[in-house]
Amino acid sequence: MRERSGGRGGRGGGGRRGDRDRDREGGQRRPMFRRRKVCKFCADKIDYIDYKDTRMISAFVPERAKILPRRISGVCATHQRKLQAAIKRARHLALVPFVVE
Amino acid sequence: MSARRQYELVYIVSPEATDEQVSDLHAQIEALITRFDAELVKTENWGRRKLAYPIQRHKEGTYVLEVINGTGDLIKEIDRRLRVSEQVVRHLVVRVDQELKAAERARSRRKTPVGVARPAAVQAGAGEDEGVGEEVEG
Repeated sequence: MRERSGGRGGRGGGGRRGDRDRDREGGQRRPMFRRRKVCKFCADKIDYIDYKDTRMISAFVPERAKILPRRISGVCATHQRKLQAAIKRARHLALVPFVVE
Repeated sequence: MSARRQYELVYIVSPEATDEQVSDLHAQIEALITRFDAELVKTENWGRRKLAYPIQRHKEGTYVLEVINGTGDLIKEIDRRLRVSEQVVRHLVVRVDQELKAAERARSRRKTPVGVARPAAVQAGAGEDEGVGEEVEG
């Protein structure tokens, strides 16, 4: 039961995202320019994401202070996971906000 | 007994506390460390910093970082003390040895590839895998 609803939710989410992409591209009548995304941490060879490094972390928490999804930032799964942990630690220490009104 | 591990401890002292009280706290922790026969690797006082959001109505606080090599029992005791302390508004203890070791391993792996023939094979395999993954996701 739970599995099924989860699956549906996932598929629904994917569909929504796809639609939005199509609308944007169709409406503007020109192919969206997309830069090939490369994981910043892999490229810079950063193995340990430090929660104390506010400058690096704040690059991944835009205005509303939400964690930047990797479909936008292009960060690889491994580093996104580490980044997420680092951001949460930084939030606990009030180095990075939880929310911005 | 229990294993020695590396921990990072950060605590935020209330802005109302005097410098003396801050160093007093540090001395307390140091005393605990020597009592538990542990080692203080590094200590850093970041000074007064603005908090990203108010904690107990405070808008700023004094941050102190301590890197400790010690056992879980020591950390447990430090954690308890900090929780009880009224001057400390927030603290965080993180075990770092595993993560640092993993980072070190990743670094050395990059410097010295395992074999000559293998990396190419691994890369080819990884490329294929990625392609399949993307198809499934889409």
